[in-house]
Amino acid sequence: MKNTLIIIGIILVFLILYFLQINFFNWFTIGGISPNLFVILLLFIGLFAGKRVAIPLGLVLGICLDFFISKKIGISGIMLGTVGALGGFLDKNFSKDSRMTIILMTVAVTFIYELGAYLLNYFIVSTTIEIIPFIKIVLIEILYNVILVIIFYPLLQKAGYYIEEAFREKKILTRYF
Amino acid sequence: MYKKKTGIVGIIITIIILIVLVFISNMNLENLSYIENLVSTIVMPVQNGLTYLKNKITGNHTFFEDINRLQQENEELKNKNAELEKNLREFEIVKNENETLKEYLNLSEQYGNYKTKPAYIINKDFSNYNNVFVINVGKNDGIEPNMTVISEKGLVGYIISTTDTTSKVQTIIDTASTVSATLSSSKDNLICKGTIEESGVLKASYIPTTATLVQGDKVETSGMGGIYPKGIYIGTIKRVVSTKNIVDRYAIIEPAVDFDKVDTVLVITK
Repeated sequence: MKNTLIIIGIILVFLILYFLQINFFNWFTIGGISPNLFVILLLFIGLFAGKRVAIPLGLVLGICLDFFISKKIGISGIMLGTVGALGGFLDKNFSKDSRMTIILMTVAVTFIYELGAYLLNYFIVSTTIEIIPFIKIVLIEILYNVILVIIFYPLLQKAGYYIEEAFREKKILTRYF
Repeated sequence: MYKKKTGIVGIIITIIILIVLVFISNMNLENLSYIENLVSTIVMPVQNGLTYLKNKITGNHTFFEDINRLQQENEELKNKNAELEKNLREFEIVKNENETLKEYLNLSEQYGNYKTKPAYIINKDFSNYNNVFVINVGKNDGIEPNMTVISEKGLVGYIISTTDTTSKVQTIIDTASTVSATLSSSKDNLICKGTIEESGVLKASYIPTTATLVQGDKVETSGMGGIYPKGIYIGTIKRVVSTKNIVDRYAIIEPAVDFDKVDTVLVITK
């Protein structure tokens, strides 16, 4: 029951972030570049709830985004699912208590997401590859995401541990008993 | 004897009074003004005081009357003001509607040869290198994929997918977009593609080696490619970038449409 409520909560947060991303961050940009709030959300879900929750959520939420606005269905789904998986992987190998580690994770995951999405766009909808402008855009986006993570880290960590407590209980029991 | 004397005195007094009356009635009255002045000097201060007192009392009475009247007037003015404010708000709404309709009318007149459907942009892609938006008309309004979308100023893009009530539009500045174009002056053909190198512009390539491109030249659709009809204004040449090999030179085109501000479009349905 608690897990279901948390999932509903995450979907509500996703909707809030969607409207923020579409409206507020459409003009609140750095050099015309907006952050990617969904990458941050899925990274934290992966880190705190594990990849079993983050991958399906990433896929479903990403496909929803594709339905809402994207050119082709599936690109955001695949990439957000990947971000969820990466979050779960990073949780096993790195500490999420350090702010610096979280920042580095954000940098890596944002880069992987954007690179993957760009390449998928290239193969699926035949976009032109422009490496230097793309790197410029991604660097600014990474910077923006990092700033947001630094600002909201205490809140994200608090919410993250609450989610972790709910989703990891069963795992601990199966491991030790 | 006594009665006889009294009768004579009475007759004499009456004659004297008559003589005085005749005398006074025949006198010039101006000669009596000093008497009038004297009377005025005595009477007027009293009269003035009484008049002031009277005016004061009458004035207070009108003062109370004025308060009532002003209150009533104030109430009426307040009501009138509220009504005017309401009218003003209605006027603003009508004005906005009028502007939107004018915009639609201008668009329809400008592209009178085409059958069009007006639409509002309701959503925009948040990606930093894609440029897609959603409009509020769909299959129910007769919209189908590959229909051309224009605005008052020029070409916007084309429909890539539709639902019953909405449609997705891929703009000409999207990196996946390619438009076959022609120069208005020389009729040389170009290929315009969206680019992320510079925000909100198009990159024109495959420029014929013989073509002379000048900054400010107008670019419009060539009609080739099967999506965009011929002669729709795209924008103007912002600058020409020369390369070592003339075949590789390209031009940056400033689209006529400001994609950050556009909110009303027309879909060419026929």
